[in-house]
Amino acid sequence: MHFLRRNLAFFRLAVLTNLEYRVNFFTDAILQPFCTSLIELTLWFAVFASATSTTIGGFTREYYLAYALWTAFVARIATSWMYEFKMIEEIDSGSINGLLVRPMSFFEYYLSQLLGYKFITTVISLLIPLAMITFFQLPTIYSRIPLALLLITYYLVLVHTIGFIVSSMAFHLNRIYSLTGTKNLALWLVSGELVPVDLLPEPYKTWVLDLPFCNGVYIPVAYITGRVGTNMVWHGFMTTTVGLAVFSIIAVFMWRWGLRKYVGTGA
Amino acid sequence: MSIVIETENLSRTYKTYDKPEGLWESVRGFWARKYTEKVALAPTTLKIESGQIIGLVGANGAGKTTLLKMLSGLIHPSTGSARVLGFEPWKRDNRYLRRMSILLGQKNQLWWDISPIDSFSLLMEIYDLNREDAKKRVAMLAEMLECTHVLHTQLRRLSLGERMKMEIIGSLLHSPDVLFLDEPTIGLDIIAQTTIRKFLGDYVRDKGPTVILTSHYMDDIAKLADRLLLISKGSIVYDGTVNAFITNAKSALKISFGLSNPLENSMPLTLDAILDKGQQEFSVKVMAEELAPALSKITSLPGVLDLKIEEADFEDIIRAFLEKESRVLSTRSPHES
Amino acid sequence: MSLTGLQKYLRLYSSFFKASFIADMEYRVNFLTRIFGDVFWYLAQIVMFEVLYLHTDKIGTWNVHQTRVFLGLLFVVDAIYMVIFSDNLDRLTERVRKGEMDLLLTKPVDSQFMLSCQRVNTALLGNLTIASSWLIYSLFKLPHLEPLKLLWLIVLIPTGVISLYSIRFMFGATAIIFTRSENLQFMWYQVYKLGMRPDHIYFPWLKFLLLTLFPVAIVASVPARAVLDPTNYWLFAWSIAWTAVILWLSHRFWNFCLKYYSSASS
Repeated sequence: MHFLRRNLAFFRLAVLTNLEYRVNFFTDAILQPFCTSLIELTLWFAVFASATSTTIGGFTREYYLAYALWTAFVARIATSWMYEFKMIEEIDSGSINGLLVRPMSFFEYYLSQLLGYKFITTVISLLIPLAMITFFQLPTIYSRIPLALLLITYYLVLVHTIGFIVSSMAFHLNRIYSLTGTKNLALWLVSGELVPVDLLPEPYKTWVLDLPFCNGVYIPVAYITGRVGTNMVWHGFMTTTVGLAVFSIIAVFMWRWGLRKYVGTGA
Repeated sequence: MSIVIETENLSRTYKTYDKPEGLWESVRGFWARKYTEKVALAPTTLKIESGQIIGLVGANGAGKTTLLKMLSGLIHPSTGSARVLGFEPWKRDNRYLRRMSILLGQKNQLWWDISPIDSFSLLMEIYDLNREDAKKRVAMLAEMLECTHVLHTQLRRLSLGERMKMEIIGSLLHSPDVLFLDEPTIGLDIIAQTTIRKFLGDYVRDKGPTVILTSHYMDDIAKLADRLLLISKGSIVYDGTVNAFITNAKSALKISFGLSNPLENSMPLTLDAILDKGQQEFSVKVMAEELAPALSKITSLPGVLDLKIEEADFEDIIRAFLEKESRVLSTRSPHES
Repeated sequence: MSLTGLQKYLRLYSSFFKASFIADMEYRVNFLTRIFGDVFWYLAQIVMFEVLYLHTDKIGTWNVHQTRVFLGLLFVVDAIYMVIFSDNLDRLTERVRKGEMDLLLTKPVDSQFMLSCQRVNTALLGNLTIASSWLIYSLFKLPHLEPLKLLWLIVLIPTGVISLYSIRFMFGATAIIFTRSENLQFMWYQVYKLGMRPDHIYFPWLKFLLLTLFPVAIVASVPARAVLDPTNYWLFAWSIAWTAVILWLSHRFWNFCLKYYSSASS
């Protein structure tokens, strides 16, 4: 019970803090994805304008417009950088001491905050693609949205675990913020943000689908826009679980190793 | 003696707006903003001769840094004029910039990740210095500052005192004719402070640049400055020598004594000081002219022990003076000169 | 500027380079992650277009080979910009906020130069090599290449870098006037993203905007057109002239901002 209450408090803390920094929040959750989606939409318009057939990979232009619109917003939700930076800074600056002496874990402290922030981001920012999709009557199966959101939430735990591993390197190295950026760029390649994964040729398509990293963007959005069926969502839950298992083991190891070094040197 | 720095009615005011609190006020503040004018420096007229060291003293926000920044060309004045070495500083003529130097005590100008020697190499290029001469100069300055052994260590690995010494070398590398030092010894330990103070004294005596020095450490001012400028709430309230200031200022004295039994009743000693009931140890500040009546009151008490009279130090004198001036100045409107 | 003046600035720049390199060698992890980061970014751009071209022959007016050349030019111009200017301009707003500009402004060197060029990102020279390799590879694989057209690149690549710099600089310099200008910096990146695609995929009025008000099309689209499309002298002349104009504008704007500059109190 303590666990739940405590983490709900962190969740709430994140919601309130982020609502206070309204301008930043607006830029991050709304303005940025909005601009990104507009740019992507122009690309798809151009692709179809010069294409010889009305479908690409079996889907018409409307499907891609819907995909691009959803992707821009969902991608912001499924990426972690702000809380990862906070974790790195916490370790870098030594203020983690304040957390280590308390009866709670660094991992859950930031996970709850991350989920709180993503929750409020989701609630507010997804209204925009929702509105635009409805207005332009682009392909979207509304009843599928809840399950998609569930997958994204589950995926966020994996994202956080990876971020946790990255931040634990701050015990050993200085100034690793660029590592976050690089990791996010690598994930960007396989997330489905650039192009729907179903357009990739084999064997790459299967490889990417078997990795857990497309569960943040491609599978949820493809599911909502009707490109894939529910079986892919279950596949997504499964690969995320496998990924969680693998990365959790690494995380525990990295954390213990780093903490031992940290406490040992009293740095 | 030529005049190196002269200002005429030089002033600077800022317009700030009161940031409203709360949601409705913020919305109203969107189109109806209340601006207040803050006087950072009231119209100031100064003449400073070549080779002098000027100590600029004042509380935080009094206007010292504003004056320095205007004379170094970093900000434009609101009214008035100034000429340093014959140039208008804010025109930022390269010929002027080559002959002046500013050291901002809490900021680094040298690169953080490389050794001071590598930073000096950069400065040599910026100021177009002859490399051989400049290198000799670095060696000489480092020796005077006792920091030769860390010249090749990265700046971020040095202690605060060593870093400051390197910053000083960096600011003197191009042999400036005018030197603005803003809190050069802030945050340093006593040994570093003494070394730097001695160095500055020797350097100025040898090379003769004109220096304006601000500091919160009165020792810096007392030991280095030929001339003292006291600034309070944007106005210069004293301009003269340090010695004249100490002599003319109504100096305070400190009387300390003990009683064999606690004081039975509270007793006023002077206009400002009251001896509290129940206390046994006392330490009171009195002005010189109040000394006699205060002493006669004290000696009338029963069981007085260890009576001591000390002169207040320079720091206390300045503080008292500034407090008094700030009381006077607050009754004046900011638009009076 | 006189010849001695030019020589002085060149010598000064080589000092900046040397100092930056020494500083960069300190942070080996950072060195590597930045190279990898950019490689992933290059891969992303390439993969996206390669996948799209599996399903269609043309996007806009170009086929896959031509778009590869476009990407190569984008990478090269971007890499040059990243090496020379990015660190300095990205930190501009922060420096203004922290009042760190003072020490730059009191040096007898042009302040815009000091601010824009002081820090050279030597780690990214590796990326410039990778970018150039891709460009050469894509030119090689181009079915009909007219080698003489490559001569245009000698002028148009620097033009692209300079116009990228000038726009970025002006966005950044606004930090002096609006101290909280993170959103402007964000807007800059969106504008730049528009330049990362061939300009002929855009609607005509947007295309026009990208050649005039926010001339990011000069960054990669114009050099690419020089190599891939029939020679358009008017376009090239316009690009070069307009770049000179916005560079001059950036300098004027900078002086204007400086006048407003009141440094943060110490």
